[in-house]
Amino acid sequence: MIGLGHYLALSAIVFSVGVFGIITSRNVLKVLLSLELLLAASNISFVAFSRFNGDYTGQLIVFFVILVAAAEVAVGLAIIVLMYRRLNTIQADELKEMKW
Amino acid sequence: MLPVIAWNLISLEILITLTLVSLVILDILLPKGTKNDWLGFASFTALLGLIVFWTTQQSVTGITFSGMFVSDSLSWFFKGFFLITMIFIFVMTQQFFKFLGERRNEFYLLLWLSLLGMCLIASSADFLLLFISIEILTISLYVMTAYLRSDKLSIEAGMKYLILGALSSGFFLYGISFLYGITHSTRFAAIQMFTATHSISPLMLFAMVLIFAAVGFKIVAVPFHMWVPDVYQGAPTPVTALLSVGSKAAGFIILIRLFFGIFGPWHAEWSILLAVLSAITMCYGNLVAMFQTNIKRLLGYSSISHAGYLLMGAAAGSMIGASAMNFYLLGYLFTNLAAFLVIILFSIAVKSDDIADYAGLARRSGILAGTLLIALISLAGLPPLAGFFGKFALLMAIIESGFIWLALIAGINIVISLYYYLMIVKKIYVDTPNSTSLIAVSLPMRLILILSMLAIIGIGICQGPFLDAAIASVKGMYLLHF
Repeated sequence: MIGLGHYLALSAIVFSVGVFGIITSRNVLKVLLSLELLLAASNISFVAFSRFNGDYTGQLIVFFVILVAAAEVAVGLAIIVLMYRRLNTIQADELKEMKW
Repeated sequence: MLPVIAWNLISLEILITLTLVSLVILDILLPKGTKNDWLGFASFTALLGLIVFWTTQQSVTGITFSGMFVSDSLSWFFKGFFLITMIFIFVMTQQFFKFLGERRNEFYLLLWLSLLGMCLIASSADFLLLFISIEILTISLYVMTAYLRSDKLSIEAGMKYLILGALSSGFFLYGISFLYGITHSTRFAAIQMFTATHSISPLMLFAMVLIFAAVGFKIVAVPFHMWVPDVYQGAPTPVTALLSVGSKAAGFIILIRLFFGIFGPWHAEWSILLAVLSAITMCYGNLVAMFQTNIKRLLGYSSISHAGYLLMGAAAGSMIGASAMNFYLLGYLFTNLAAFLVIILFSIAVKSDDIADYAGLARRSGILAGTLLIALISLAGLPPLAGFFGKFALLMAIIESGFIWLALIAGINIVISLYYYLMIVKKIYVDTPNSTSLIAVSLPMRLILILSMLAIIGIGICQGPFLDAAIASVKGMYLLHF
C-alpha cells in the first residue's frame, strides 16, 4: 500500500536532487532545470497532501505553480540567451566580473 | 452560491492594472522612435492620481475573496509607502534612460507590474496569493536587473538574481506545501487558528524555516544575502533603488504578517532565532561595507546591515517592535532614495560609481554633496535625522523585550557604520577633486533633492505624526496576535 509517506519521500528526493543540481552544476541551463525540479517537488507534495487531507486547495495551487514556473523559465532562458550573446558562454563560473 | 466580492477593497489594485493596460495600448499607438518620453509623463501623472486616491482609502477595510485578500491599516500604510517609492523610481528612470531611446517604454511597464506585485503582497491573506504576488514582483525585477543588455555586469547581476531568487521561491513553496499539509489550509486565518491551539512540531518548524528563507531573501538577512552586493552593483541604478527600498519593504510586510500574525502564538520559539540572525546580519553588513570601493556595492552592504537593525524590531515580538520597524522603514525610504538619486545624477555626469571619484564633490555641485551628506548621516543614525529616531525606537523595543545583548551589539555596529559613512563624507568635503568641472543639476531635480532632504529632516524633527501613523498601521492589522 502506497501512503502519504511514500509521496513525501519522493518529493523530498526530487527536492534534494534539485538543490544538489543547483549547487554543483556549472552549466546555467542545468541550473535552470534544477530550479524547475524544486517546484516539481513542491507540486508532488501539494497533490499528495491534497489527496490525503481530502480537500482540493492543494491541487488548485499546482496549476498556479506550473504557470509561475513557465514564466520563470521564459525569463531565465531569455537571460541565458543574452549571456551567451555577450559572454559567449553559458558556464556559471564565467560570471566572475564582480567579487567582494 | 457564489461568494460576494467586495470590489471596493481592491480598487487600488484594479486601478493599477487598468493603468498598466492603458499604458501598453498607449505604447502601441505612439509613433516609434519618438524623442519625447510620453510614457514616463503618463506614468508619473497616473501615479500622482493614485496617491490622491490612496489618501481617501484609509477607512476602507475588510476581507474579501473568501478571506484571501485583506485590506487593513497595515496594507494601507504600505501601499502608500510603495506609491511614494515609485514616484522616486519614475523620476530616476526618466533621468537614467534619457539616452536609451526606444527601450525605455517597456521599462515603465515593468515598473508598474512590480508596483502591482508589491501592493498585492501588502494585501495577501492567503499563501497562494502571497506566492503569486511575490513572483509577480520578483520576475519583473529579474527582467529589469538584466535590462542593460550590452552591459556585462547587468547580465551577470540578472543571472545571479534569477538563480538565487528562484531557489528561494522554491524553498518558500516547499515550506507552504508542508504548512498546508499540517494545517489543511493556506488561509492565514485558518493557520492562525491552528497555531493558537497547537504547540510547535518539528515538521512545522521545518516549514517555518523554509518560509523564512523567502522572506530573508527579500529583506536580505544574512544566510540569504549572497545576491545583494553583485545585483546592487550590476543592476541599472533605478532598479537597485527599487530593490533596496520597495522589495525590502515588501519583505518586511510579509515578515510582519507572518510573525506578528499567524506565527504569533509561537513567539517564544522564534524570537531568539530572529535575534541571533539580526546580530549576525548587522555585523556582517557593517564589517564588509568598510572595504568597498564602489558606492552601489557599499549601499548594498549597508542595506544588509539595515536589515539587521530592522530585524531587531521583529525579534522584539511586540507591538512597539512592529511599529518601530514601520517607522524606521519610513525614514529609510527617503534616506536611501535620496542617496540613490544623487548616485544616478552623479553617474550620468561622471560615468562612474567609484567612491574615489566622489572626491571633492562639494566643490563641483553643492546640492548633490549636501543631499548625500544628509542621507549618509541619516543612514549612520546621527540626530536629529530620520535614521536616528528609527534606530532609537528599535533599540527601545528590543530592550523592552529583554534582549540587552542585542541592543549592545547594535550600538557597537552603529559606531562601526559611522566610520564608513563618514569616510565618504570626508571624501566629498575635504579631499581635492580629480576634475574641477561643475556638475549641472536641472531645476526639477533640485526640487526633488530638496524635498527629500526636507523629508529626512522633517521625520527626524517632528517624529510625532509619523510615529503615530506607524503605530496605527500595526494596531489595526488583520490577525494581529500581540
